[in-house]
Amino acid sequence: MVKSYAAGGAEFRLTIPRLDIERGSKLAFVGESGSGKSTLLELLAMILRPSASGTFVFRPRASGESHDIAAAWQSADPDSMAALRSRHIGYVLQYGGLLPYLTVRENIVLSRQLLHLPQADSAEHWAERLKITAQLGKRPAELSVGQRQRVAIARALAHDPTVLIADEPTAAVDPLNAERIMEVMIGLVEETGVTLIVASHAHSLMRRAGLRMINHRIDAEGGTLLHIKVSDVAD
Amino acid sequence: MSPTDSQLGLILTLAWRDFGHERIMSACFVLSLSAVLLPLLVLFGLKFGIVSTLTSPLKEDPRYRQIQPAGSGRFGPEWFEAMAQRSDVAFIVPRTRAIAGTMRLRGPEGNAGRIISVELIPSGPGDPVLDGLSEPDGLERVVLSLDAADKLGAEAGSRIEGIVSRTWSGKQQTELLPLQVIGVASAGAFARDGMFVSGELLMAVEDFLDGRAVPAFGWEGTADQGTPRQFSGFRLYARELEDVAGLRTGLMEQGIDVRTRLADIELVQGLDRNLSIVFWIIAIVAASGYGLSFGSSVWANIDRKRREFSVLRLTGFRSRGIVWFPIVQAMMTAVLGWVLAAVAFFAVQAGLNSLFAENIGGDQAVCRLLPVHLVIALVLTLLAATVAAALGGVRLARLEPSLALREG
Repeated sequence: MVKSYAAGGAEFRLTIPRLDIERGSKLAFVGESGSGKSTLLELLAMILRPSASGTFVFRPRASGESHDIAAAWQSADPDSMAALRSRHIGYVLQYGGLLPYLTVRENIVLSRQLLHLPQADSAEHWAERLKITAQLGKRPAELSVGQRQRVAIARALAHDPTVLIADEPTAAVDPLNAERIMEVMIGLVEETGVTLIVASHAHSLMRRAGLRMINHRIDAEGGTLLHIKVSDVAD
Repeated sequence: MSPTDSQLGLILTLAWRDFGHERIMSACFVLSLSAVLLPLLVLFGLKFGIVSTLTSPLKEDPRYRQIQPAGSGRFGPEWFEAMAQRSDVAFIVPRTRAIAGTMRLRGPEGNAGRIISVELIPSGPGDPVLDGLSEPDGLERVVLSLDAADKLGAEAGSRIEGIVSRTWSGKQQTELLPLQVIGVASAGAFARDGMFVSGELLMAVEDFLDGRAVPAFGWEGTADQGTPRQFSGFRLYARELEDVAGLRTGLMEQGIDVRTRLADIELVQGLDRNLSIVFWIIAIVAASGYGLSFGSSVWANIDRKRREFSVLRLTGFRSRGIVWFPIVQAMMTAVLGWVLAAVAFFAVQAGLNSLFAENIGGDQAVCRLLPVHLVIALVLTLLAATVAAALGGVRLARLEPSLALREG
């Protein structure tokens, strides 16, 4: 799979010769910023259209069917991907990405609402696990950065997704907090069995969290063209 | 509910929450919309009020709708029938020759010495000038003009006497007709001494004067020829002021020269037209100016919030649904701006009308809007806001989501 894009006058090319991610695995893409980690995650989240694609198959459940994502992009079928996204993927952004006009509680249950899942005390459950119960009635603007990231993790997990994608989830918080947040997140991931894909530039943090690391290789070609290759075959 | 609908419902809720969350900015949008809408409402209210004030006397006075033959002609029953069928004709009755169109009247008991000569005016069901009175019918029941009633000392219910004379077989013959006054017309209906009579009575008088027999009264004379009666004129009223011009043209094409009050009607209609042109020029300039500024604010707002929109997409909302977000907010702005402008309009209207109350009489208003005008204003405002926001929505749909996600 290839994604080319231009930014700041330079052209980038992200090449993924082969990448298999097994259900239940915990994976970290580690590399410096600008190495295409976010692009890779967005491709995996089916939100970014690949420039060219070989096989791209998403099989969220062992017993379930395989979804041909390459074909969905080909036939311009964004609705089927939106449906897969809402059902199977939880996404944590570097800066929370919470909706400022909703309370913490409403932010957490938004994905459940979209799927018509019962909300019951889902927000309370996740808030308790992430230690943000006192913040449930507040707006995101009233929270610290660390609290916002905890809310973002709660929201990403609230609808019981099969894949949790986190793009630099702790880059905006201080190291001590980062450590704690990672700890809570990994704990929840192991508890729920969700597949975890993280992008981060923090080598040591990822290693301590026990994630399998995949490094990006950046090739400079012709001055402005960057080749970023991700190659990994999971067992 | 299908999943698409419910997604839309959730989008509407979110749009509303965002609108309320940024209430200061939303209030600015609402205020600026009503700031443009209010002067337009006042301007249109003035145009409508002034034109209505000028038009209403024309509308209320049936004489403006009258079409009178300039000379005398020959009109048969088929012609009257055809005219009566036309949708733009409110009322038409035949008129006899002018010479047969007068009668002397003797006043009621107590004032029986008084004799005046009146013009006979053919009337019938639906006569526009006898608005609210019962119409003359048969050979006895008549309506007097106000002047004639005054001179005779007659009122509704009085019994008077008509006097007709002819020279027949070399002798002077005078006949008396017992008449019952069933009503007195208003001053505006007929400005001279006149009597509204049924066609039947009018024809009887004409026959008598022409030396023909009138069996209904037992008057002798030459027998009916059996040929259809020809009339020399007519009383014709158009249904609406707007119908006068068309009727006039139609009659002129038949070679019938007519007199109308078209000049007065066209004066007001011309004023209405010109004021409308002025209004619409101002409205279009103002609306397109506002539309551009509103559209660009929506555009800028989408840029500002594109991260939030990307989050919605990432959560699994379809881009088709997200496009509704700015449109719904634009509609909320439109409705609230319209409400504000309408409330302010009523205040301005009250001020203007009391200011000019002395210049125009009675129940007239210099500034006035009908409920339907306000509804039209709402629909147009909604439409303009939706179009402006939809342009922003197109931008939203094209937004590359991932580029927005990475910014802080």
